[in-house]
Amino acid sequence: MSTRPVPPSFAAGAVRVFGLSLGEMLWSRRTVFLLLVTGAPVFLALVARVVQGSGVVPVRLNGAAVDGGSIFGMMIWVFFLRFIVPVLGVFYGTSLIADEVEERTLTYLFTRPIRRGAVLVGKYLAYIVSTTLVVLPSVVLVYFVLVPLGQVARTFLAFAADLGLLALGLAAYGALFALVGAALKRPLVSGLVFVFGWEQIALLVPGYLKRFTVAHYVQGLVPHAMPSEGVATLLQSVLRDNPPALVCILVLAAVVGVTLWLGVKAVESREYVLDQ
Amino acid sequence: MTKPTRLFLFVSGGILAAGLGTGLVAAYVGGFQNLSLLAASGPDELSYLPSDAKVVGYANVRELMDSELHQKLQALTPRNGNGLARFQEETGVDVSKDVDYVLAAIGGDVSAATPEQGRPLVIARGRFDNVRIEGLVRSKGGTVEDFKGVRLLKVSEPSGAMNMALAFVEPGLIAMGADAAVRQAIDGHRGSAANATGNAELVRLVKDASDGNLWVVARFDALSAAGNLPAGVAERLPAINWVTLTGHVNGGIRAAVRAEARDDAAAKNLRDVVQGMLALAKLQTGQRTDFAAIMDSIELGGDGKTVSLALSIPIEVMDHLASLHTPGGLRPSPDAPQPPAPPQAPEPPAVP
Repeated sequence: MSTRPVPPSFAAGAVRVFGLSLGEMLWSRRTVFLLLVTGAPVFLALVARVVQGSGVVPVRLNGAAVDGGSIFGMMIWVFFLRFIVPVLGVFYGTSLIADEVEERTLTYLFTRPIRRGAVLVGKYLAYIVSTTLVVLPSVVLVYFVLVPLGQVARTFLAFAADLGLLALGLAAYGALFALVGAALKRPLVSGLVFVFGWEQIALLVPGYLKRFTVAHYVQGLVPHAMPSEGVATLLQSVLRDNPPALVCILVLAAVVGVTLWLGVKAVESREYVLDQ
Repeated sequence: MTKPTRLFLFVSGGILAAGLGTGLVAAYVGGFQNLSLLAASGPDELSYLPSDAKVVGYANVRELMDSELHQKLQALTPRNGNGLARFQEETGVDVSKDVDYVLAAIGGDVSAATPEQGRPLVIARGRFDNVRIEGLVRSKGGTVEDFKGVRLLKVSEPSGAMNMALAFVEPGLIAMGADAAVRQAIDGHRGSAANATGNAELVRLVKDASDGNLWVVARFDALSAAGNLPAGVAERLPAINWVTLTGHVNGGIRAAVRAEARDDAAAKNLRDVVQGMLALAKLQTGQRTDFAAIMDSIELGGDGKTVSLALSIPIEVMDHLASLHTPGGLRPSPDAPQPPAPPQAPEPPAVP
């Protein structure tokens, strides 16, 4: 009498897909882009440090010299929060399923004896690990290049908060766009419109619209003052109402949980038609 | 998982762990300086201040003394050198090096006729020569008594206006001021009397103000009573409960004044008054380019019951203002090295 092999559980299936996808994700062309965008702040921090070391003040605000800790805060806002985190979320999140569809390899994954939803979750976990292990070390390098060791004691908790909120931001944006990628046909365009269209406008409009953005809750956790380098950011800082940190964390966790669950449902119910 | 993938994870994780570990160790050694600021309520010494404090002030003496602005001002007007030198000679305390920060408060009825009823209290953190200070107090006719295990040095003014006291409440921490205030500080810290940490409104305002290296939180009625505001001005000002002044002094000065009015309407009135005054000031200083940078940096803000005014004075403007009021401009410090002598002209070649 032959015994049929028991299919792995949802979690075991997700872990197997995670192991497979992590290597693929790290050594893809997209990683070059990832390294470029996360390497740029490190390079600029090095330039600022060299300039500072030569006796020239690299950044001035209203004529007053800005110290390394404040420059680090500005870089967290300008580079990481406003650009790197949402852009990586869009590019990686939307491609989790879309890439397999485009390359017509989704069939190979879906014919494995694991649930379809586990494929999405495994790939999402691979996205989290690969992006956080590139973005967070970049933040660490920027911090230690810019902030003198004597100021570390004073700024360490803010730095740790930065690392936490960036990881949470990557998780929230990634889960949201994993859903978009699983449910829509042109997910990248929709993602870019959401990040650079909807979120930017909603943050500028007075009222409750900003509550329907991820950026509102991620920015609510930032321990640094928002830099005002233009009219838009000035308006944002004026219209900004910071929700409590606990609310931000809970909302972002809810975004991760709900969108990932909806993504799993979408993957399991949708019929993907691969172009011949 | 392939070998390059494992290597990548190892290197990235290593950078992250090394960064967090270094930061954690540095923060632990440095005493988690920002923990109290983030956690709740400003300086730990708040528990020594009275719960009915009407005015609370803080100065991070260390940062102020090290600031570029102080260095420049010292070069400009080294007039307090003798007084500080005498103080150091008598007490052994070099204010510029031995005092880290100072917290001060006035509790009780500050508008009362005698200062004793105002109960001033100063808490200073730093490195003090207890024996020398006690000797100085005794030489001035002071007495020493034990108050709940703390040595209390007492000095009475000849006029009898105020009994002053000084106590070494912790290693590196002294409390001085009115006798009653110092005793209350010791009681308050031990929990046998109410202290400022139980005053939620005060704690909230202190927390908001404490990101500067110089700040004052005061009830407006206390300020107006102590400051002898002209009756006409005091009557015309809208109803204000609290005033907070936060300053950050380093290269230049960044300062913010925040007032909490009794209600939204009073705050709006105050904003209108301040806006009018700002417009008037801009008109007055319109021709003065030296003040333009300061006036341009002033920002009026606030919402609800609060009104805020922020300004920034860069070091260049301070230099310019100093040069206006000092004949010959900013003089170099007497301790500054002399400029090098100009090079000698070369000898003409000898004609054979």
